[in-house]
Amino acid sequence: VNTEINSYVADPEWHGWIIWYFFLGGIAAGAYVTAALADLFGTSDDRRGVRVAYYIAFPLVGVCGLLLIADLGRPERFWHMLFQSNTGWPMFKWWSPMSVGSWGLSAFGMLSFASFLGVLAEDARFGLERFSPLAARMRIGWTGRLFALGGALSAFFLGSYTGVLLGATNQPFWSNTTWTGALFLASAFSTGVATILLINRGLRLAVTEDTLVHLERLDTWAMALELVLIAVFLLSLNKLAVAAVRQWPGVLVPAFVVPVGILAPLGLQHLKRARSAELACVLALAGGFALRAAVVGMPVPLLWSRHH
Amino acid sequence: MMSDVCKHCVNAPCLEVCPTGAIIRTEFDTVYIQEPTCNGCRDCITACPFGVIHVSAEKHIAQKCTLCYDRLQHGLVPACAQACPTQSIQFGPIAELKARAAMRVDALHSRGETEAYLYGADDSILGGLNAFYLLVDRPEAYGLPSKAQAQVPSRSVWPASIKAVATSLVAGLGAFLAFGRRKERVAASEREEATSS
Repeated sequence: VNTEINSYVADPEWHGWIIWYFFLGGIAAGAYVTAALADLFGTSDDRRGVRVAYYIAFPLVGVCGLLLIADLGRPERFWHMLFQSNTGWPMFKWWSPMSVGSWGLSAFGMLSFASFLGVLAEDARFGLERFSPLAARMRIGWTGRLFALGGALSAFFLGSYTGVLLGATNQPFWSNTTWTGALFLASAFSTGVATILLINRGLRLAVTEDTLVHLERLDTWAMALELVLIAVFLLSLNKLAVAAVRQWPGVLVPAFVVPVGILAPLGLQHLKRARSAELACVLALAGGFALRAAVVGMPVPLLWSRHH
Repeated sequence: MMSDVCKHCVNAPCLEVCPTGAIIRTEFDTVYIQEPTCNGCRDCITACPFGVIHVSAEKHIAQKCTLCYDRLQHGLVPACAQACPTQSIQFGPIAELKARAAMRVDALHSRGETEAYLYGADDSILGGLNAFYLLVDRPEAYGLPSKAQAQVPSRSVWPASIKAVATSLVAGLGAFLAFGRRKERVAASEREEATSS
């Protein structure tokens, strides 16, 4: 572990749009991966219960793309991420997380778009019902399993690469740990499951109680994993951990993310009441946003005090 | 007082992370940002351990010292080296500069200035810096990062990726346990779905 802080770096000003991208991209990835894993391991009831994930993943990832473009200094040049501006050939650097991430986001966008069209066809919306046999093939049998596996892998990638990207820098705290990708993935998973549960409960969708129980069990698993990874993340920062969480926004981790975003939802789930379950999901989502805001903003106070 | 020039690192972090290919190494071994290609993603700013890259308020793209690339192309020395009245900034072939700097350090040592040393002349910091300094105190006293504070960004990619993959497997295991898969139940439900579609 490198416990040397570099406070001579400049602030890249990855703030508002990027925090929202990390959060919404995490939800899209977590929800999609839950649906894909339900397609792989669950019953038909489970699959019906997670279909909503295919409805939300593509629109969310579309918003993510817009957020990323808006954050660029020259938004009209967003395509330079994928293609060389002078030759038009693909631009890909496997050793640059942002380059790999651009392609990974595009791949996820395409897969989630296919799934989006699939559920629209299954539900006979926008005249797409004639494609419903094709859509069904995307979710069952060997083709369905292959599609679900590919989708799950791309969603796992989207949920984690943002943290790997933060590590591949020289910024204080970000570059002092290699656990941010794993932590963001766990958070993406828990916020994704929470979103599916919230929509199912909030909109009173026709989902069996069994499926809701399965999803809540998965949510408990995801939040426990996130809790463990927060501890590992802070331990990996070693003697820098105190400095990381002492100031705003890093202080959100001990003051909000853990007690309100994880422990409270875990407690509320045990009350076994619909209202408590909905509140648990809302708190888990708030915790997921606060976690991104805390980690992304961690270097800011140090750099600000140095440069002003 | 010291020049906060781009160090044109041998293993330049900015060049390594740049996702658009806007940052290139020139025929003079310098690191250069191609303005028409940069889209202002600012990944290079996160990577530069010296904090020398900033966003142009006018053009909204990354900018830094080019070591006067246009002047070099015309056989001129960088403007800072030419203008410096005390000749503190020296420009020339890197091997020649290093030899001259080593002699200068030896001269200072022989005069009792034993703290004098070269920062960035060897390959210990980012494979070597093509703009290096003669210092008489630790780097931090001059606002320069130490060797441990200036790292190649890609060093963390594989360890972080492996941890993310391990977490994915744990998440997948959680889904397997939560949905409680039973082959016959799933097969039956698939048959049911296939019939209904």
